Amino acid sequence: MNFSYKEKSLITSLVVTLLIFGRYFFGVFSNVTATPSEQFDFSDVIRVIILIAILEGIIKWFFSKKDEADLVDERDKLIDTKSYRNSYWTLCIGAWFILMQLLFEASGLWSNAYHTLVFTSPTFIAHLLLLFFVLSEVIHFSTQLFYYRKGV
Amino acid sequence: MSQQTLATKVGVTRQTIIAIEKDKYSPSLEVAFKISNVFEVPLEEVFSYD
Repeated sequence: MNFSYKEKSLITSLVVTLLIFGRYFFGVFSNVTATPSEQFDFSDVIRVIILIAILEGIIKWFFSKKDEADLVDERDKLIDTKSYRNSYWTLCIGAWFILMQLLFEASGLWSNAYHTLVFTSPTFIAHLLLLFFVLSEVIHFSTQLFYYRKGV
Repeated sequence: MSQQTLATKVGVTRQTIIAIEKDKYSPSLEVAFKISNVFEVPLEEVFSYD
């Protein structure tokens, strides 16, 4: 199976994002009952983002040496636009989900005070928001890949 | 003419030429006219509407 430089770049971005953020979120959400101070360390997020940028840069550089130049034409722009639309809807769903969760909590419908404390804490909401940001990026990469392979 | 030569003359990537050939992408009118100009034939000899 032949892959163009852009497809290789997308696969790289997708795999690196899934692996690194997947591991990060697994650690975060499997420890959801911890106290807020234990749950969230913003420097972890910065470290993860820097790690992703470095890994992506190295792998893309490796592929670009053997492949075509990074020219962007009308097909690339169309694919980018379509996949950004899917990414946008994912982020919208995430934002609405978080909003509903907060409204649900504000209405006092949570039956368990402990759940209220954990699932509506600023720490948990921040992680949830980050999760939807990452998910929308994953949707962006994967739909781009889909359109490059299957046609647009 | 190679795909890369055509792509360079038209100003798109080789992948776009491959996608047009495989019927996976319908080019804009501008690109379609550029392709027909490269081959020096009318547009309808290169593209047809199914």
